[in-house]
Amino acid sequence: MEGSEAIAEAMVAAGCRFFAGYPMTPFTEILEQMAKQLPPVGGVCMNAESELEAVGMAWGAAATGTPAATGSTGQGLSLMQESIAELAMARLPLVVLNMARAQGDYWQATRGGGHGDYRTPVLAPMDVPEAVELTQRAFHWAATWRNPVLVFGDYYLAHTSQSVDVQPIDFGPAPDVSWALDGSSGGSGRAKLVSPLGTQKQRDDVGYDLSEHYLACAAATHAMLKGIEPMAEVALCDDADVVVVAYGTPGRYIRAAVKALRERGVKAGYVRPITLLPFPTEAVARAAEGAKVVAVYENNQGQMVDDVRLAVLGRTPVSFIGGLSLDTSGFGIAPDLDVTILGDRIAGALS
Amino acid sequence: MERELVLSGIGGQGIQLAAQVVARAAIAEGREVQLFGSYGGMMRGGNTEATIVIGDEPVEAPPTVGSTWSAILMHHDYVEPTLARLRPGSIVLRNSTVYEGEVAVDGIDLHDIPATDLAVDLGNIMTASMVMTGAYARLTGLVALASLDAAVAESLPPYRTKHVELNVTALRAGWEAAC
Repeated sequence: MEGSEAIAEAMVAAGCRFFAGYPMTPFTEILEQMAKQLPPVGGVCMNAESELEAVGMAWGAAATGTPAATGSTGQGLSLMQESIAELAMARLPLVVLNMARAQGDYWQATRGGGHGDYRTPVLAPMDVPEAVELTQRAFHWAATWRNPVLVFGDYYLAHTSQSVDVQPIDFGPAPDVSWALDGSSGGSGRAKLVSPLGTQKQRDDVGYDLSEHYLACAAATHAMLKGIEPMAEVALCDDADVVVVAYGTPGRYIRAAVKALRERGVKAGYVRPITLLPFPTEAVARAAEGAKVVAVYENNQGQMVDDVRLAVLGRTPVSFIGGLSLDTSGFGIAPDLDVTILGDRIAGALS
Repeated sequence: MERELVLSGIGGQGIQLAAQVVARAAIAEGREVQLFGSYGGMMRGGNTEATIVIGDEPVEAPPTVGSTWSAILMHHDYVEPTLARLRPGSIVLRNSTVYEGEVAVDGIDLHDIPATDLAVDLGNIMTASMVMTGAYARLTGLVALASLDAAVAESLPPYRTKHVELNVTALRAGWEAAC
């Protein structure tokens, strides 16, 4: 099954019943799949007129407690930043897919370009089976923490077919959705409100205390970042001279390159962050202990490398071995993603 | 043990279809399979390539591979990245009807199959990649001919089901040509 189809199936398995998006390769393929898969299960998929409209539609669906998702490439997510920030301040669950072109959107994903004191957890699958699991986990986290959650993929993930069987994953009891709008309390004087400005209606007698809402949001964000255990795959680091850090599709190439280096007698290991936010700081720090150098590969000019430096705190030299690599399509197919090329760079970081 | 197949050609030769047929046949035989196809924006004549990895365990190899156990070369245009992945012992099938130039890699197991000529003889030039796929099955033993037959029916879109029989015939022609 192709990655796009598998991710769509995983969203449906996770209970997603509303999806909206605007076509852009390699996100388009997921939008097409959702248009096929949602109607038979009673869901709705909208081809919006723009990314702004798509995230707005998804916001509306999310406010009713319907598991909802949207997405795009990083370009489209730029347009959505304001709404993602407002969704976070309205404490609404939403899954946002970034089927990115290369990895230039790391900062956009992990820092966000919206306003305010919000954060969005980010999951970065390396292949199709992992994407099936993490996409479902994203819905669970979004509902649990009432916050947007990002899934960070790419062209390879969208277009690689792998043997995979999509089954719903049980993450435990369904989170409470009593906050959701259902239209039942209109005119009762007790109508619910879901808004970036809070859940209290302004009343003449008591006024309006925004600080209360913003502080509550900040506390919820803090609890979320403490409550989510950072995830990473760590291998061959115990005796490693060089520890490589890479995420997503490049993480798979790095794994193959590290294993090939081991066969040549080079003591290499790797850490593959699976959550980019919260970043697996402790896993990176532990893996770096005893290493001569930490090498960071990203298909960009160096973004995650800053988080790696924060993790090792100067105790181990950090060498950036990545760099933007694109073929003529610009979709993120990278000539540098070659096990031999990457192996040479890893070995080179030691010299 | 993972076995790799890289298919390279130009848009319109059926590279992506052939890759899907091989992948589906291997899945039907209970193997773990990974397929990554990439192609340029042109419907006809642009670069098109596919990488298949087949194993008995979940595939560890990344979507594109540094070296390949086997290759199908349908055309000489855009072939250099695939030639760079050949290693001593790689089983290589060359479409000798249209491929111009040598495959100058030491130690490979090279087989010339006039796939486009055979496809024309069958009445449809578009089946050349199926001819090549049939020949590949016989030369490598990686998948059974019967599995390919079933995979063709699964891989063609509903509006092309009338072509299943011709494609199956092409698979057989390739199988025979590879003896």
